[in-house]
Amino acid sequence: MSTRSSHGVAHDPHERPSGAEVTADLVRSTYSTGGTFKLIAIVLAVLTVLGVVGVILKFINYGDDQTRWGYVVAAMVFVLTAGTGAPMVAIAPALAKANWIRPVTRIAALFSVTGIVSSLMLIPILFMLPPLITQGARRRSIWFEGPDYSPHIWGMIALLGLTLAGLGLLYSSALPDLAAMRDHATGWRQRWGKRLARGFIGTEGQWRTLRLRIGMFGTLYFLLLVFTHFLISTDIGQSMVAGWRDAIFPMYHAMTSIQAGVAGTILVMWIARRFGGMDRYLHLDQFWSLGKLLFATSLLWFYFFISAFMVYWYGRAGADKLWLDLLIRGPMIWAFLGAFTFSFFVPWWFLIWNRTRTSINGPAIAAVIVLFGALLDRMRLYVPAWSVDPTRIHERFLTEIPTTQWPDIFDILIFVGGISAAILLYMLATRLIPIVSIWEVHQSNLLSRPAKFIRGHGVLVAKPD
Amino acid sequence: MTTEGYGSHRWGMAIDLDRCTGCQACVVACQAENNIPLNFEDRFDRSRAFEWIRVERYWEGEFPDVKARFMPILCQHCNNAPCEPVCPVFATYHNSEGLNVQVYNRCVGTRYCANGCPYQVRFFNYWEPVWPESLRNHLNPDVTVRSRGIMEKCTFCIQRIRRGARQAARENREIQDGEIQPACVQACPTQTLNFGDWNDPESRINQMKNNDRSYTLLPHLETDPNVVYLAKVDPHKEVTHHAEAESGVH
Amino acid sequence: MQQRRTLDQPHTNRVLLNGQLNTPGWWLPTVLLLGVAVVAGLGVILFMIMQGLGVTGLGRPVFWGLFITTFVFWVGISHAGIMISAILRLTQAEWRRPVTRAAELLTVFSLLTALFFPLIHAGRPWRIAYWIVPYDFARGIWPNVRSPLIWDPVAISTYLTGSTLFLYVALLPDLGNLRDRTTGWKNALYTVLALGWRGNPRQWKLQTIGGILLSALMLPIFVSVHSIVSWDFAITPAVEGWHSTIFAPYFVIGAVHSGVSAVVTMMALMRWLWKWDDFIRPEHFDALARLLIVVATGWLGFTFLELIFAVYGLDAPEIALREMQIFQWPWNMLFLVFLFTGYIIPVTMWLFKSVRTNIALMFWTSILVNIGMWLERYLIIVPGLARKQPFVFSWEGYAPSIVEWAILAWSFAWVSFLMLLFSRFFPLVPLFEQKESQVFTTDVKIGRATVPAILREEE
Repeated sequence: MSTRSSHGVAHDPHERPSGAEVTADLVRSTYSTGGTFKLIAIVLAVLTVLGVVGVILKFINYGDDQTRWGYVVAAMVFVLTAGTGAPMVAIAPALAKANWIRPVTRIAALFSVTGIVSSLMLIPILFMLPPLITQGARRRSIWFEGPDYSPHIWGMIALLGLTLAGLGLLYSSALPDLAAMRDHATGWRQRWGKRLARGFIGTEGQWRTLRLRIGMFGTLYFLLLVFTHFLISTDIGQSMVAGWRDAIFPMYHAMTSIQAGVAGTILVMWIARRFGGMDRYLHLDQFWSLGKLLFATSLLWFYFFISAFMVYWYGRAGADKLWLDLLIRGPMIWAFLGAFTFSFFVPWWFLIWNRTRTSINGPAIAAVIVLFGALLDRMRLYVPAWSVDPTRIHERFLTEIPTTQWPDIFDILIFVGGISAAILLYMLATRLIPIVSIWEVHQSNLLSRPAKFIRGHGVLVAKPD
Repeated sequence: MTTEGYGSHRWGMAIDLDRCTGCQACVVACQAENNIPLNFEDRFDRSRAFEWIRVERYWEGEFPDVKARFMPILCQHCNNAPCEPVCPVFATYHNSEGLNVQVYNRCVGTRYCANGCPYQVRFFNYWEPVWPESLRNHLNPDVTVRSRGIMEKCTFCIQRIRRGARQAARENREIQDGEIQPACVQACPTQTLNFGDWNDPESRINQMKNNDRSYTLLPHLETDPNVVYLAKVDPHKEVTHHAEAESGVH
Repeated sequence: MQQRRTLDQPHTNRVLLNGQLNTPGWWLPTVLLLGVAVVAGLGVILFMIMQGLGVTGLGRPVFWGLFITTFVFWVGISHAGIMISAILRLTQAEWRRPVTRAAELLTVFSLLTALFFPLIHAGRPWRIAYWIVPYDFARGIWPNVRSPLIWDPVAISTYLTGSTLFLYVALLPDLGNLRDRTTGWKNALYTVLALGWRGNPRQWKLQTIGGILLSALMLPIFVSVHSIVSWDFAITPAVEGWHSTIFAPYFVIGAVHSGVSAVVTMMALMRWLWKWDDFIRPEHFDALARLLIVVATGWLGFTFLELIFAVYGLDAPEIALREMQIFQWPWNMLFLVFLFTGYIIPVTMWLFKSVRTNIALMFWTSILVNIGMWLERYLIIVPGLARKQPFVFSWEGYAPSIVEWAILAWSFAWVSFLMLLFSRFFPLVPLFEQKESQVFTTDVKIGRATVPAILREEE
């Protein structure tokens, strides 16, 4: 295990750095824009541009054929899935007053910048999404008799609102760190901190406002997360297929988003630890706890899936069989089997094992597997949903199952481009705000102290109200 | 409709709604044949009346241009019956002649099958059946008198099917089409109800099924019923699938 | 919170064992009264079995009514135990400790009660055991494993076995404690039950491992039980209002909502009846109410999804069903009561800390929740059947008969009776958890503030 920090001094993982040291170290961590960093950023930028070219070419070639857009939708929804779920990782354990979450909150909250990418990716999709009334027939939707373009408008509003709430959460929780940059950084970072910290000097009132703001943005974020996934999954998923009526689907969608978010957080933690010198702040405790969370969400994946599967499989009515035929044993069975394996089966057996769960690399490997599973899962849902015959969208239920569709070169460009854009934005954001929250580390050190207990050692964790 | 998995017969019925006058003769005949308890007024009031076959009456249109529509409904003997898998004790199952049969002895009365049945043709004995002394000797000796606490339903007059089969076997011949008639079919004055064997390509019901008016009830549930309906012919209307129009099923 | 008192062990023993060592005066009359109610209720059940189900208000197509509603209700309540004991144990929530025993008890007794309902609800209850338990190999016919009514007894009996073991494992240290403080036949009873508990390190280790293992093993069962109960309904395409994919998690989260509320009710009663003010403190109510706000809001989200995807299909019978459920008298009234008691009134009140720490208000709001949750099941089961499929000709209503109401009342008397009987012989607040909590919690000074702190294992 590497104990190398950003400036090359070895640290004992249990040694607690002093407050000033933490501040100096973490402020300095935003400086390093070395050669590798620049190279990666340039490669990602090129891939992003290629993705934009892919979208344009896709428009030119298939601008009038929505059945060819399934993979583009899957790409957008994948970025949405992995990106929007992560900030929940910062919110939920914090509500339960868990101490271990503190060094991780920033890593999770930074994911909200990817909301910008998914919002942008939604735009071309909205052009392809049919209105509620096509050829004089109204498709079934949650908007019932609403205006024709309700899904387009509300989908965009929800996603933008979610992104803004995420950025609000990120900004309000970064305020003390920006103040630290104002006080300790140099050059443009100092000016950046000064401008954004808005006079934060840590008075009692300012801290109270800060906590209140985090709580409010956190709650708002959670509500908007569920709302956005509800809208996106029904409007550009379910209601595209005549007869697909699945009440658990929006919850499944939001839940898998949180699962992928946990995975993404673990992955970034591992990278920050391995290459960013964050091993002083990210310990086994964080990986272990998030590993447990990943395990739990992987089991929930199966639970939400089987809740729908059991009802349809046993029901055997027309609309029930349609669901099985289209989304499971139909054209995308390979993606379904992959999603089942990588979102549930492998993480289940991998993380149930104490030795892998209670380690640093174990949860990281599981995180990569889960993210791959989420990718396949979005493909198996959205590609068949978009490839059905759009002229029969309003019927009682679908009778013709489309054939398997494989991605073309544009799809691959868009997929890679979208994911690259999200990673690039994340990387740039870490150069503006420390990836580990300075004040959370301070608080964590303040609120926990090693304690002797009878013959063993423990940690005494204070729980302020 | 599937034919595999069945023996030499697959019994079924074809119901021509265009001929139905709503006379209820089938209902009365069924009551007499199958030892169905008397439906007193309070049985109707508490929605516990037994009608193995019922004639549903719907009004169409607004007064004065109003029409009565009749629709005899009985157990559809579905090949893919939703009532069967849910029974915990196998009291209802599919037999080799396509009949959905109820084993009274096994039934414990969970009433789950009745919830599973979309056609609402299963009946529960909430009380011990009683007949006035004068009617005791009218009971059909070929049919079990059901005790309280169990489900019952249309059997396609299985006692008559068995009798017909025995008769044919004795005379060493095949069962003729139209030879076996459940009580309701026998009583129907307008030949609305027709009973026969789907496996016999020459049978009357097969000929009726090939009519373009034919349809099955609640097709979206894919229960694959053995009862086929022929839609009402309505000179004033383009679409005559009146049961479907009634239900919003398309 | 700064109201924590340091309680020494003799005091803890004396106060928490007051139910067993010196019975309060109200105990005997209350138990006798409940006993009479229980016997009377059993009489009604016997009457119904002798007369037949005609004495209920059921008919066709509403074949299932109040009994199945009550069955689902009690299975729901039973989710309290594992939610509190297992989940909060695995997530190391410290405030769970004084509540665990009561919650586990509620699980065991409400399951015992729930089991009654499908039995007496059957047409020929005397045959159920005979057919469902496959002991008669010679018959050559096994129960139908495709039927959810077979999954039900399997899941529930597994859950009952597991939670009884769970309760027992957690009871062992307290049984040892009681054995050392009693004489005569009671001493003999506790000696047998305590299984030689002496409290040596090995026994403690085994007891802890047993508890954690059971917690982890019970979790899937916990989720599966109510999912399977929900599938009794959801797998039936014939009943439109039931055939929804959301049912399994919807039922589970609703069950947690009602179960945890029932625990709040019990805690308030325990605090009042046995005067355990030092042990069941406002901060525990506060923590449970916070948990309930989250659970209830999640549950409301599921309710919303259930409703919107019910009408989403635009099927005529489904819309007729919702029209009846929400707008037709008397269902509209019930629906409003359900919405207000199940969510709006309690959750709005819990938002205020003064309510969360007020025992009387918590007591009444938790009772409201359970009224609402009972109605929720009633509003799912009955209108779904009453408006089944487009055969308007057969649509009927349903009103429970006096017999059904009496048996519902009996179930409450029966659970309370069992609970009180238990309290006479076993402590309702786990003594060892209480003492462990005393050791693990302390106050630390940070700057000028004094903050409660908890000792955790080193990672």
